[in-house]
Amino acid sequence: MDINTFSAYSYFFLIIFLVVGSYSYIYHLYKNRKDASGVDYEHYSNMALKDDIGDAPVKPMPDEKKK
Amino acid sequence: MFHWLEKHPFLFSVGVFLTIAFAGLVEIVPNFAQAARPTIGTKPYTLLQLAGRDVYIKNSCNSCHSQLIRPFKAETDRYGHYSLSGEYAYDRPFLWGSERTGPDLHRIGNYRTTQWHENHMMDPAKIVQGSIMPAYPWLFKNKADINTAYAEQLTDAEFFAVPYNKPVPLKDGKTTIIPMAKSIATAHAMALKEAQAVVKDMHNQNVKDAVAKGDIPEIVALIAYLNSLK
Amino acid sequence: MENRPLEYDYTVAKMFMLTTIVLGIVGMSIGVFIAFELAYPGLNTIFGKTIAEYTAFGRLRPLHTDSVAFGFTVSGIFATWFYVGQRVLKVSMAESKFLMFIGKLQFWLYVAGVAAAVVSLFMGYTSSKEYAEFEWPIDIAIVVVWVLWGVSIFGLIGIRREKSLYISIWYYIATFLGVAMLYLFNNMEVPTMLATSPIGETGIGSWMHSVSMYAGTNDALVQWWYGHNAVAFVFTVPIIAMIYYFLPKESGQAIYSYKLSLLSFWGLMFVYLWAGGHHLLYSTVPDWVQTMGSIFSIVLILPSWGSAINMLLTMKGEWQQVAASPLIKFMVLASTFYMFSTLEGPIQAIKSVNAIAHFTNWIPGHVHDGTLGWVGFMIIASLFHMAPRVFKRELYSKGLMAAQFWIQTLGIVLYFTSMWISGITQGMMWRAHDEFGNLAYSFMDTVNVLHPYYALRGLGGIFYLTGFLMFAYNIYKTMSARPVEESELQNASPMGA
Repeated sequence: MDINTFSAYSYFFLIIFLVVGSYSYIYHLYKNRKDASGVDYEHYSNMALKDDIGDAPVKPMPDEKKK
Repeated sequence: MFHWLEKHPFLFSVGVFLTIAFAGLVEIVPNFAQAARPTIGTKPYTLLQLAGRDVYIKNSCNSCHSQLIRPFKAETDRYGHYSLSGEYAYDRPFLWGSERTGPDLHRIGNYRTTQWHENHMMDPAKIVQGSIMPAYPWLFKNKADINTAYAEQLTDAEFFAVPYNKPVPLKDGKTTIIPMAKSIATAHAMALKEAQAVVKDMHNQNVKDAVAKGDIPEIVALIAYLNSLK
Repeated sequence: MENRPLEYDYTVAKMFMLTTIVLGIVGMSIGVFIAFELAYPGLNTIFGKTIAEYTAFGRLRPLHTDSVAFGFTVSGIFATWFYVGQRVLKVSMAESKFLMFIGKLQFWLYVAGVAAAVVSLFMGYTSSKEYAEFEWPIDIAIVVVWVLWGVSIFGLIGIRREKSLYISIWYYIATFLGVAMLYLFNNMEVPTMLATSPIGETGIGSWMHSVSMYAGTNDALVQWWYGHNAVAFVFTVPIIAMIYYFLPKESGQAIYSYKLSLLSFWGLMFVYLWAGGHHLLYSTVPDWVQTMGSIFSIVLILPSWGSAINMLLTMKGEWQQVAASPLIKFMVLASTFYMFSTLEGPIQAIKSVNAIAHFTNWIPGHVHDGTLGWVGFMIIASLFHMAPRVFKRELYSKGLMAAQFWIQTLGIVLYFTSMWISGITQGMMWRAHDEFGNLAYSFMDTVNVLHPYYALRGLGGIFYLTGFLMFAYNIYKTMSARPVEESELQNASPMGA
């Protein structure tokens, strides 16, 4: 197999992989609605909207909770 | 799979980097060696030509003039044979340009003469009616930087194996040798000899006097370079 | 410290706001000047024939592009980072003496680098590669500045209170990584002073000179992989970071779909880098690279429009704000221009269109849709939003801001319409043949016909520059305008009449 055949095959499988990957990412986002730590993705907008230093973080750092 | 990625911010940065680096690897690497091979008949630049190329770059001629003839009838009619990859093998950096405010110069050596360039650089609008190119009178006064051009030649030979002092194949099957000097002093003598050949066809007395004194004005080097573009 | 409430510290942000404005004025003035040089040749001698060398088009063109890209835009990126970064990570720079020091060091090194770059470009020290003209000593300074910025980004992330990273932070990180990679690889060069002659002489010739590591076609490929993606990571990615923060914040609206923003982020990251080949269509690079560049340019519409539509839909149900606030106008029009130029670009990347468009004025026309409309407007809007918050004063004049908006918009319209017409005219005239198969026009015919368009383009530039000066004045007067309370700064920026 020469380099051109190789790149043709890898290109084909790359496209398949990317299509499957990105559609499953879309599916994942909309199916779960919440990310790994249980926060709804749409709540992340609050990071910009409530960004005063005194505002509560959307997802606080673990050590901040203890204080 | 995605849940796992979301938990690791460091992996995020690595992921971004891999995603953006991927395309470059695939596009640039496979043809790298092949694209660097010169066509038969392409010669390395001589010392004076290289100094002229530096003048070309110093004044950013490449911001208005391209050096790339595309394979269309209109372009080959206007500028000559379309450009081949190997013709650029000794161009560091490449000077294709991205705008054609002025015409392409890749084969200008085929249809313009020393004298034309001399008159044109002094006052372009006088030679070409309506030209919007600025005049370049300072090229007739500034001295070409032969030392730097020599250092560039040495760098080309040492780091990039450009065949100076070695036989270079020509189209007719013969070979030629582009010489490179052994020291700064011989380099100057070499450049001056090239300059004298160019100045023979020029008429500006100041330039002639300067070369007779052993100085090389930028215009002489630039013309040597432009004449080499064929 | 215990007694004083903790506040965000905008010292470094303010410093970079200053350079954004100063370098913006410098870069745009040079741009207007060289635009008129093409309309009225010989203009380079108006400052005196003795310095005509330094004011010729060729010398000034890299100064224009570099001062707006690496001066105005990069300053804007830094200024907004030192503002947005603290806020969405909910950590103040006052909490870390180290990060404060690094931030200030970065600023002063940046200023020194800019000074060196300006002087060296005037002198004609250039590597000739577009948007990477600086010679190697300045390249090294740029790398140091960039690394310091990286320390700032990851240092601030390290001490954050908000565990997850807001989408803008994603884009800032991508900017950092992308530019670092591109800049390093494109500027690989060997300084000529390293060479030794056969008889042992060293350090020959100028220090400010180097030889590119790549030759000819490879050099072109690397350069446009860089050049195209410098557009990606300087003019697109960080500007998206800005709009994802400033538009929701100023309008008080949550992003229309945060999920869509995540999706278009990954899409943009993957697709953008492939499209560089569209600068080299019909050149001597391999055909498959050209085709790939062409195809991926079209695909690029999707992630680009994903972000842009997300922004426009953020304003859903709140369109009265666009009418009411000139600041929202800037951002909505910026987003619209983003959609516009990310559609125009792919069209130009189609091979048959590119055959006409390449090398013509349509290309700078396209670039300026993006830079004036999208980049310029977004940075101006960001600074307008930041000013009341960093100075604790209301914006000096709403009327002036609205006037600036319309003047600059008119400037952009003049710019791109004239460049479209002249670009397509050029492209068609170059390729026209008469009935006998001879070229129909000489090159000079195509130059003569362009004069009115060059003049119009210059006029558009004057409009935009005038607007920018109004912006500078507005920000300057804001520093002494009416002080405001914290409560007025929640969303819409307070503005004086």
